[in-house]
Amino acid sequence: MADEESMIRAEGLVKRFGDLVAVDGLSLDVRKGELYGFLGPNGAGKTTTVRMLTTMEIPDEGSIAIDGLDARARVVEVRRLIGVIQQHNSLDKDLTVRENLLHHALMQNLSFKEAKKRIEEFAGIMELQDRMETKVDKLSGGWKKKVSIACSIMHRPEILFMDEPTTGLDTQSRNLLWKLIRGLNKDGTTVFLTTHYIFEAESLCDRVGIINKGRLIAEGTPEELKRRVGAFALVSVGPDGEESVSYHPDSASARAASADVPPDSSISIRPTNLEDVFLELTGRRIRCTIFPPRCSGWPTATSAT
Amino acid sequence: MYNLPSEVFRVAYGDLCYMRHNLVQTLVSTLIGPLLYLLAFGYGMRSGDQDYIAYVIPGIIAISSMNAGFSSSSQKILIQRLFHSSFDELILCPMHTPSVILGKCVMGGLRGLAGGLIILGLGMLLTPGLSLTPWLVLAMLLSCLMFSLLGVAAGLTANSSPTLMMINSIVILPMSFMCGTLFDVDSLPDFAAYIVWALPLSHSTAVMRASALCDPVDPTSVAVILVYATAFYCICHLIIKKKLY
Repeated sequence: MADEESMIRAEGLVKRFGDLVAVDGLSLDVRKGELYGFLGPNGAGKTTTVRMLTTMEIPDEGSIAIDGLDARARVVEVRRLIGVIQQHNSLDKDLTVRENLLHHALMQNLSFKEAKKRIEEFAGIMELQDRMETKVDKLSGGWKKKVSIACSIMHRPEILFMDEPTTGLDTQSRNLLWKLIRGLNKDGTTVFLTTHYIFEAESLCDRVGIINKGRLIAEGTPEELKRRVGAFALVSVGPDGEESVSYHPDSASARAASADVPPDSSISIRPTNLEDVFLELTGRRIRCTIFPPRCSGWPTATSAT
Repeated sequence: MYNLPSEVFRVAYGDLCYMRHNLVQTLVSTLIGPLLYLLAFGYGMRSGDQDYIAYVIPGIIAISSMNAGFSSSSQKILIQRLFHSSFDELILCPMHTPSVILGKCVMGGLRGLAGGLIILGLGMLLTPGLSLTPWLVLAMLLSCLMFSLLGVAAGLTANSSPTLMMINSIVILPMSFMCGTLFDVDSLPDFAAYIVWALPLSHSTAVMRASALCDPVDPTSVAVILVYATAFYCICHLIIKKKLY
């Protein structure tokens, strides 16, 4: 982290859609240069929070300050500071890749000359050179995502919001994106990343906020959060297939506790992860399958949770 | 302070690229309706009466400017909002609200102006009574802008294509026939004439007809167009502010 200055500060955010309270009194403080992960299951309120933080949705209650600027009163200035990679591709499908990039660059107030220079630069970074004259409509989902990412970062925002950016990406594209996120963050960009992938939050983020039913239920570094639960998990599966998990401060105490497990149960001891934290706090899992099966690059040990 | 024309162009750039890709389709779809009106009313009903053709062509240009302005902006915004989600990207960019609203009117304006000029050119070949005057170009631009602004408002509020089609059927279609485009409004019963004169297309038609026939332009009609355009702009502004900041 560059310093402790607040880059995103939200206080008491509430957003209702009819009777549904999507975000319920949420407060956040993301510091300058931080890579902040916002972890939660589908429907927890992650996207609504991002839409409010990025000025796309007006909160019913609460306030938002981006780099000290009131997001409601100084909306244009706030939008100059941010880049947003949305969950769904939001490109103009009737235009070519180059036209989409140029349109985005122009709307970010870049000059034609600068825009053309950046387009070549980011086409190289995102490996888009061979598809620049292709209409977006003709691209596969992964390529559309790459174009969308290039559009969002071309103006070099100070804060990058990413709403589940790796959903639907293949391993290679995901690794490329992770490398890019780390690079941008290293260069000083504050990153706000929402995800429901445990490994993504653990491996990328300086600090993680866990959201459930519109409320922030825990916040800290991945290690801090895991320590709150216990560093090691003892998982036992009984003959009826029922799984139980207990958490222990170290592997020795987990092994000692395994002596109490009924002899016909199978047991395993593993380091705890953020899924355990979520399970312990809410009594339910973030996802039924933590890692999508097609993503062969994901570690399989943790998927046994 | 910010550079409004520059921002308007930046917002409109995507729509201009779209227009360039679909130039033939855009022009054909803009011209088919007006040409059918000309054929049916000018030649079918009045057997090619030169005076009536000179009278009806400015009305057809007014219909064309309304349809092009309204449908271009409303359909594009609806598609970008509901199906492509690309309107979100526009909202996320540091563009000021007036630039967003006016930028989304550019395509409708250009389409209406191009269609109107082609129809006028055709009319000038068919009858000697018509002229291309600066007032006529200004009236076409104002009319396109006014109906594009109405289209932006409709595109921002409609939640589905059928809703937009309904707005088109209730608002746009009746104006096409009733607002003095094909006949003299004053030939209607008094109560109907009052209603028709309250509608914006009646004034667009009046200004365009007077300009094309080199008659004096009624400043009241120009004022009414400006009032409607301002009102439609304010509605767009309020919708964006209320819904999207």
